[in-house]
Amino acid sequence: MASPIITLTSSDGVDISVDRTVAERSVLIKNMLEDLGDSGEAIPIPNVNEAVLKKVIEWCDHHKNDPPTAGDDDDTRRKTTDIDEWDQKFMQVDQEMLFEVILAANYLDIKALLDVGCKTVANMIKGKSPEEIRKTFNIQNDFTPEEEDQIRRENEWAEDR
Amino acid sequence: MADNAELESFRREWREEVARRSKPRPTPPTTEAVPSGRVPPSQHEASHREDLEDEGPPPVSFDPEDLAHQVGELSIQPEAEHEDDGFTRRTVQEPKSALEHFERAVEKEAAGSLGDSLTHYRKAYRLDASVDKTYRDKHFAHVWKKTAQPAASVNSETTHATAPADKAGEMLPTPELLASFAHLPIPQAEPLVEDTPPPPCPISKVPSEVISEILRHVALRDPANFGRTALVCKNLAYHFAHEQQIWKEVCQGSKFGFGSMHYEFACDLHGHPIHTLQERYTPFPYGVPLEVPMPFSSWSQVFESYPRIRFTGIYISTVNYSRPGAQSGFHNLNWSSPIHIVTYYRYLRFYPDGSLVSLLTTTEPMDVVPHISTENMMAARAASHKQLQRRVEDPGHSISGATDAVPPVAMNALKYGFRGRWHLTPPFPRKRPEDERAESGPNQQQNSNETEEYPDLRDLVIETEGVDPKYVYHMHLALRSPSSAKTRANPSKNTKLVWRGFWSYNKLTDDWGAFGLRNDRPFVFRRVRGWGLD
Repeated sequence: MASPIITLTSSDGVDISVDRTVAERSVLIKNMLEDLGDSGEAIPIPNVNEAVLKKVIEWCDHHKNDPPTAGDDDDTRRKTTDIDEWDQKFMQVDQEMLFEVILAANYLDIKALLDVGCKTVANMIKGKSPEEIRKTFNIQNDFTPEEEDQIRRENEWAEDR
Repeated sequence: MADNAELESFRREWREEVARRSKPRPTPPTTEAVPSGRVPPSQHEASHREDLEDEGPPPVSFDPEDLAHQVGELSIQPEAEHEDDGFTRRTVQEPKSALEHFERAVEKEAAGSLGDSLTHYRKAYRLDASVDKTYRDKHFAHVWKKTAQPAASVNSETTHATAPADKAGEMLPTPELLASFAHLPIPQAEPLVEDTPPPPCPISKVPSEVISEILRHVALRDPANFGRTALVCKNLAYHFAHEQQIWKEVCQGSKFGFGSMHYEFACDLHGHPIHTLQERYTPFPYGVPLEVPMPFSSWSQVFESYPRIRFTGIYISTVNYSRPGAQSGFHNLNWSSPIHIVTYYRYLRFYPDGSLVSLLTTTEPMDVVPHISTENMMAARAASHKQLQRRVEDPGHSISGATDAVPPVAMNALKYGFRGRWHLTPPFPRKRPEDERAESGPNQQQNSNETEEYPDLRDLVIETEGVDPKYVYHMHLALRSPSSAKTRANPSKNTKLVWRGFWSYNKLTDDWGAFGLRNDRPFVFRRVRGWGLD
């Protein structure tokens, strides 16, 4: 049975056609379709632009046959810290796109994609010093030296050495 | 026989001296500590410093003549400044601190002047019994220890610089300071060149709940890394302090948390899991409502302070003792009488499955620590076994293969390692059926009254193989926290293991024999790059 095609409209006004099963990886879209019924009208996605939406759909398409995640998927999420190979490649994008995808996944409520995104960012933080983390993400150090020292001492125990 | 007596008397002297140096300060040290008449009168000063600093940088001390010159200077100059001085300006002069003496001794030894070398070694150990540790920390830390050194030194500098300001009370208490960070955004870096657009900082647009999710992954991979993110900016510092859900998960987890703390043996001596129908005790199970245990007020405190074994590194006990060498028949210890300063190490590497590796060796940490693992140890044993057999069957045929990556010096040490198992003390009175006697060890019988009523959660029981298959070694240790020092105001808790007792049990004759712990020192924990992480 071929899945019906639905249309999504990105924030910059571009219509994108997509299999309903693919689009339903997004809990937001799924609920919307269930609530409204498939009227054949385009569904506006006001927070996501075309490039990002296409990227997200690419991910949903690849994962359309994944077993549906149970409502309480905390246990499985907790156990794996690694990212599968396809997802790793998928996430090899510039930082702006990476965070756009994360924001879109958050907005569209695609837990597994959000998870992959957060893990990717966590990997970028892994093993880095505070200064290296700032450099990686272009973050300004907004501590005064005294504050920084106070926090450092407060958290010293976590270094575990 | 006479030799032995001398040996003993020397050891006794040495130990007394070391004990004097490392323990009680109240007695005036100037008069009593003069076995050779060469101890500088300023020794006093050094001991006071040691008191202050504990595990901090090596104490600086002075020869009498230098002291005379510097007394004035000393009284005026603030300590920190003067300490830094000691390291830089006077490096070409005579060594003064224990560390400098030690370094000089190493130089002399390398140059072949053993007499001079020994003199410096002796001075160094007199000034600071654990100088070898300081020395290794300074010179070899980078080889096997995870980036600790630069961080530590930066740490000490900043601490020095700001400590006085701190005491003046201008700062907010930390919780309030953190609370003030609550709604601050992640700040974007300023442009590298003025009047150009700043570099993109997409993370600053991410909502707080997604930041939490990212930090959760960071924390579950390595809580220490989570700690470092707190120093990036105020927003992340706030997250670090307030994400109790993350800390709870870290506590429950089995990589760093209490999911893999064992409260009874989980495997046999060889690491094979013990299967049991009974549910094993774990303090913070999944899937049930949990409360922060008394007396803690947050999950981060639980993770910080609840007794916990680390899998991300090695526990090392360094033991130094000296004994007279071949020509010690002469009583006076001058340059011609060799003295061996023997250093040996006990290493313990714990695994989350309840097994462990115990290694007693003279091989230095930098040579062996990165290679300590059950696999390498078994490979080393197999290799040495094979080597013996081959030698018999087919001389000239050398072994090679899987163990190539491990340097021979490490392999050599590792083949004497023992497999073992460990467990912590459960927080409930332990039932002790009679047949459990062999497992519980003699210690429990001695002070069963105290331990049964109020078990100390920090007590650790270890069993390992012995030199002969008929022996099982029992180590009783207890987790303790290092005292805070100037450089480490708030060190990790429960990273020290102090000795409680050490026995061998003969399975054939059902005999217990105690090992003397005369020389043994506590184990300290050091992280090792890559251990316990993905």
